[in-house]
Amino acid sequence: MSPQMLDELAGDYVLGTLSAARRSEVEQQLPNDAVLRAAVQRWHEQLLPLAALAEPVEPSSQLWQRIESSLNLAATQAAPSAIPQIPAIPEAPADPTGVPPHHTENVAPSTGWWNSVKLWRALAGGGFATAAVLAAVLATGPSVLPSAAPQYLVVLVAPLDKAPGWVIQASSPTQLSLIPLGQVNVPAEKSLQFWTKGDNWQAPVSLGLIKPGQTVQIPLDKLPPLQPNQLFELTLEPANGSPTNLPTGPVQFIGRAVKVI
Amino acid sequence: MLAAQRGSATIEKTFVWQASQPVRQSHDEIKPIEPALKTAFDIDPSFDYEQALSRCAQGDGQALQDIYQQESRRLLGVAMRIVRQRQQAEDVLHDAFLAIWTQAARFDAALGSGRGWIYSITRNLALNSVRKGAREVSVDEETAEALDAQTSLEAHHHHQLADAFEIHASLGRLNDCLSRLEPARRNCILYAYVDGCSHGEIAALTQTPLGTVKAWIKRSMGSLRECMA
Repeated sequence: MSPQMLDELAGDYVLGTLSAARRSEVEQQLPNDAVLRAAVQRWHEQLLPLAALAEPVEPSSQLWQRIESSLNLAATQAAPSAIPQIPAIPEAPADPTGVPPHHTENVAPSTGWWNSVKLWRALAGGGFATAAVLAAVLATGPSVLPSAAPQYLVVLVAPLDKAPGWVIQASSPTQLSLIPLGQVNVPAEKSLQFWTKGDNWQAPVSLGLIKPGQTVQIPLDKLPPLQPNQLFELTLEPANGSPTNLPTGPVQFIGRAVKVI
Repeated sequence: MLAAQRGSATIEKTFVWQASQPVRQSHDEIKPIEPALKTAFDIDPSFDYEQALSRCAQGDGQALQDIYQQESRRLLGVAMRIVRQRQQAEDVLHDAFLAIWTQAARFDAALGSGRGWIYSITRNLALNSVRKGAREVSVDEETAEALDAQTSLEAHHHHQLADAFEIHASLGRLNDCLSRLEPARRNCILYAYVDGCSHGEIAALTQTPLGTVKAWIKRSMGSLRECMA
């Protein structure tokens, strides 16, 4: 194809006058033909001002929600390019206590894909490499959350590999939800105990024993209100919890509260 | 016939527009548009599309929402003109934002602007949607319908001479280049780009033989290429 014919083809493609079949041919050719690609790109840029001739139309209020919920699915099926190496996380096996593995979605309804438990789970499998992505999601997502959105968010990560294991959301200063991102194996005769400590507190305070893979709501009415940077951790303790009422076992997951503006 | 309906809807719209506008006899008189028309919706002129796309590539959902807030009205306007139906246009925009999200990492600022990339995705999806739709009828059928249309010669004549589109100084260089085309030929380019019309639809719309439309568009694109170079 002569350079002029190629440029004409590119122009007709951008103008939009090609048939469906021809359009599809051009689209198949584009990835392999840098000259055609450049010509198409140039026509796109040159004709772009004409797009201003179409009067703006206000989208329906549901459209963004639709996009959001599609991305929610996409997050588990085909992660966006920035987090492509995340292996699929098999769903947690059925809890022997009979608690359905998906009950967490009911506790934490999805208000945005960054708030999606499925996404957190997908990210959780990525280990350290996804910590930055997670931080970006955390740092930017909450400002668009609706009014019932959490005021504080905490990601609890494993101390060694920084793999996220749990998310804490607090919609009010007096109550929080602890949401698992995956299944955690706790040895027999051991338990997971949940602790928190504000910067100026003398010692951590127990928030109770936690069953792996289960979301819990914990009232904080006997504690001072949540504060930024407040420490949360899960430690491995004897089956009935720490005998001293202070953490004695190894830290399994740890994180600090981020105030959501 | 769906395609015919598309065509006739546009003809009607064009005539309504003409009724309120003086017919311009000369292609030199391209009047500047009133500012109110082009800033119907406020936009942030300092919006950094390239940065927003780079943030999307890093998985930042807020960046996608920023793009949506900045451009969704105008993108929906572009899609609406091409596909004509609101639900279909919203479907196009939905798919476009998914594509922006999943392909943001492939955007290369060296090849063009971020805004252009976003528009090209939306227009491509809208055009694919229209071209692949059941609406497409054979060009011969369209042309036959066009020739059968009982429109007066006078209306035909006016239609040929008038600008069906307001084009204005904000188009920059493109404005100069378009103004060098005869109005009838310029209209063909604009029906194609803005309204997503096929050759056959333009022939029906402008009551011009199909071969003439094709030749006009080919030559007009050639003139634009030289003029913009």
